[in-house]
Amino acid sequence: MHGEPIWETRSVTKTFPGVRALDKVSVRLHAGEVHALVGENGSGKSTLAKCLSGTYQPEDGHVVQSGRPVELRNPALARELGVAIFYQELSLVPALSVAENVCLDGVASRGGFVSLRGMRRAARGALDRLNVSIDLERSVGELSIAEQQLVELARAISNPDVSLLILDEPTAALGPEEVSRLHRVVRRFAQHAAVLYISHRLEEVLSVADKVTVLRDGRVVGERQTAGSSLREIARLMVGAEIEEYFARSEQDSQRESLLEARDLRTPALPSGVSFVVRRGEVLGLGGLIGSGRSAIARAIYGVDPLVGGELVLDGRSLRLRSPRDAIAAGIAFVPENRKADALFFNLSVPQNISIARLDGVSRGAFLDLGKESSRGREIARMLRLAPGAERREVALLSGGMQQKVVLGRWLFAEAKLLVLDEPTAGIDIGTKRQIYRLIDELTERGVGVVLVSSDYPELLNISDHVAVVRRGRIVHTARRGTLSQGELIELASASENAQAAA
Amino acid sequence: MTTIAARLGGPLGAFARARVAGPCAILALLVLVAALTTPRFLDAQNLRNLGLEMAIVAIIAIGSTLVILTAQIDLSPGSIVALTSMSTALLLTEVHMDPVYASLLILALGAGAGLVNGFFSSYGRIPSFIFTLATLSIYRGLAFAENDGTPIFGLGGLSHLFYDELAGVPYPFLYAVVLYALAWAYLRYTRGGRRIYAVGGNESAARLVGIKVNRVRMKVFVIAGILAAFGGLLMSSQLDSGSPDYGQGMELQAIAAAVIGGASLFGGRGSIVATLVGATIIAVVQNVLNLHSVGTAWQNITTGVIIAIAVGIDMWRGEVARVGVAGWRRLSPRRPEPEPVSDEAAARREERENARAGV
Repeated sequence: MHGEPIWETRSVTKTFPGVRALDKVSVRLHAGEVHALVGENGSGKSTLAKCLSGTYQPEDGHVVQSGRPVELRNPALARELGVAIFYQELSLVPALSVAENVCLDGVASRGGFVSLRGMRRAARGALDRLNVSIDLERSVGELSIAEQQLVELARAISNPDVSLLILDEPTAALGPEEVSRLHRVVRRFAQHAAVLYISHRLEEVLSVADKVTVLRDGRVVGERQTAGSSLREIARLMVGAEIEEYFARSEQDSQRESLLEARDLRTPALPSGVSFVVRRGEVLGLGGLIGSGRSAIARAIYGVDPLVGGELVLDGRSLRLRSPRDAIAAGIAFVPENRKADALFFNLSVPQNISIARLDGVSRGAFLDLGKESSRGREIARMLRLAPGAERREVALLSGGMQQKVVLGRWLFAEAKLLVLDEPTAGIDIGTKRQIYRLIDELTERGVGVVLVSSDYPELLNISDHVAVVRRGRIVHTARRGTLSQGELIELASASENAQAAA
Repeated sequence: MTTIAARLGGPLGAFARARVAGPCAILALLVLVAALTTPRFLDAQNLRNLGLEMAIVAIIAIGSTLVILTAQIDLSPGSIVALTSMSTALLLTEVHMDPVYASLLILALGAGAGLVNGFFSSYGRIPSFIFTLATLSIYRGLAFAENDGTPIFGLGGLSHLFYDELAGVPYPFLYAVVLYALAWAYLRYTRGGRRIYAVGGNESAARLVGIKVNRVRMKVFVIAGILAAFGGLLMSSQLDSGSPDYGQGMELQAIAAAVIGGASLFGGRGSIVATLVGATIIAVVQNVLNLHSVGTAWQNITTGVIIAIAVGIDMWRGEVARVGVAGWRRLSPRRPEPEPVSDEAAARREERENARAGV
């Protein structure tokens, strides 16, 4: 449809010890086009982004700019040639102003000095190119998360000659309103530059991108125009198999006894009180925007936030949770959203990561039985279908999906009665996602109750037996599975979105 | 180095991958050089002195390692040595207490000093570096206050507990060996030891799996305090005196032993065996320099250089390996593939793995 691509990779190959991360990958990026890159974790998406942004150098093949092969020896050189990369982690300085943050990479500096006028002009230009207006003098710490992300984006494109913008999982932390706002900005920016959009969320990719390239095991397995492609087709390309029963979930009889009852639960983050019931073998989904109180409910159930009112009843007994320790003793488990920061021990082995929440289970008297620990670890690894031998590898070297399985394995081993899952599949590839859904299904069949917090709406609506919509610290609606559409959910969750963003 | 280690299989490979391998290799090299260049080095008398010289620092280094494993630091053990040596001297010469009871009381004093460190560094939320810097000064100040800064000589009665010999091996060295064995077993085979690693590895995750993080942190300081007090007792009996000047700089030597052994100051990584190796490295270097009559100035400088090199090797491990591999690639006419397999074989292997992984 266009002429010559503005950026392309020509059969780029990159290997790491034992792995061919990219195998003759060719992608053509045109100005005026949003090009999505999808694939499982470990399929090579981020490696390709790093080859384009100068972090990695391909061993074979070329990166080509406007028909001319270029050697991107380092990120600074790539930036100079017009490549901008945007990561979802915010790296702004809260105490500095918007203008200062946008120019953090030294756009407006000359000989070590910063010109205030030049800085303001450069920042204004960058924000204009994104068509967003944010007061340049405000300090970034006062902005909402969504606004901060726009500042971060402006910073990425602060160089006016940006011809390629790479976004690596830009929406993992955003609610639906914020996502569509970001997409509007990205679409507009793409009018005069090429955009490479890396994401796990296929629904999003189909809505924002013109073209999608699917990677599997370091190879391009398909390129499609998004118009006329179905989610199902792309998902099939990604995993290399038909997605049957993607959301595995067996029907539950509704007459089960209740496992956990929250009666007018109040914490500092939930001042108005919430009530709900989780039955044995049931998944209760909590939907809502980031900051709506979903995670606060999860924290209250797990004893992280102290209760200031109401009560929690598990198995008919009222709980007094002063800490996660008490919650674990009562049979409650928690899988936090950020597994690297809050769940995994990179200095411990896989079996040690699995046993840590119930060391009694691998002890003989006062001592740890290391043999038992590793054999139980292997058992759990098999149950979780961890790749063979993965339990002997360092946790840091496992893929995100496998790491999440290790965290789940920990609670499998601790024999938890109630699992609280906060974004359990964020940043996880489709294949592993499916296995995690299947695992949830198996656990519920054994009578385990699950509280699922998720921003992945199809997941939330398909996995949960009941969905509770949380808005501003209140449960505003509860629906059985199949009685709520995604549109209704989004509407319920964001009815007062502006008030949320200010909070 | 890393890549070769990664490819070795079996127990040899496991050893090469372990962090203790580097310090062990350095120690072996050091002993070899010492034996070749210094005739008296391997004499029984010299080895006995070596064991005696390193015992106190080595014992204190056990505590430092535990504290470092939880991502904290303890700067006060040198001062606890002074405080406890003065207290020992007072208890024996002024109070005329039975040496056994006096020793127990001194260990309790060490525990108390450690408890203060631990409480304020964990529950009190004062960074341990700052708080133990304060107690470094306070505890030594207390040691000076005990007898107006005057050392006390002629204690008697302690040596049969701490300064005797068993089959020619001095007690302090035996104590060190026993304490290292206990600490090793504690870290490896008990829940408490595992929790120390967990707290140092990821504090937030430790809390979320139900570990009482503050209690673990306090505990390691108490252990460090007791071990420093034990060092004070050894010091007093060895020199038959108590002095507020004892133990100066020992905290740094103990930390150096842990760091040379490969303990990470960010917590969670390090082992007790490696610390023993680190302590031995420092002791051997000082011993050899002593035998060659090298002055204190150069001894200090040498120790410092060793610390810098040890930490450098640890930090730059990856880079050293990468530069080595890159240099090799440039020199060799054809690029060696990391895994020399054909595309077909690789594809087949991937298929197999996927099938096994259930994808």
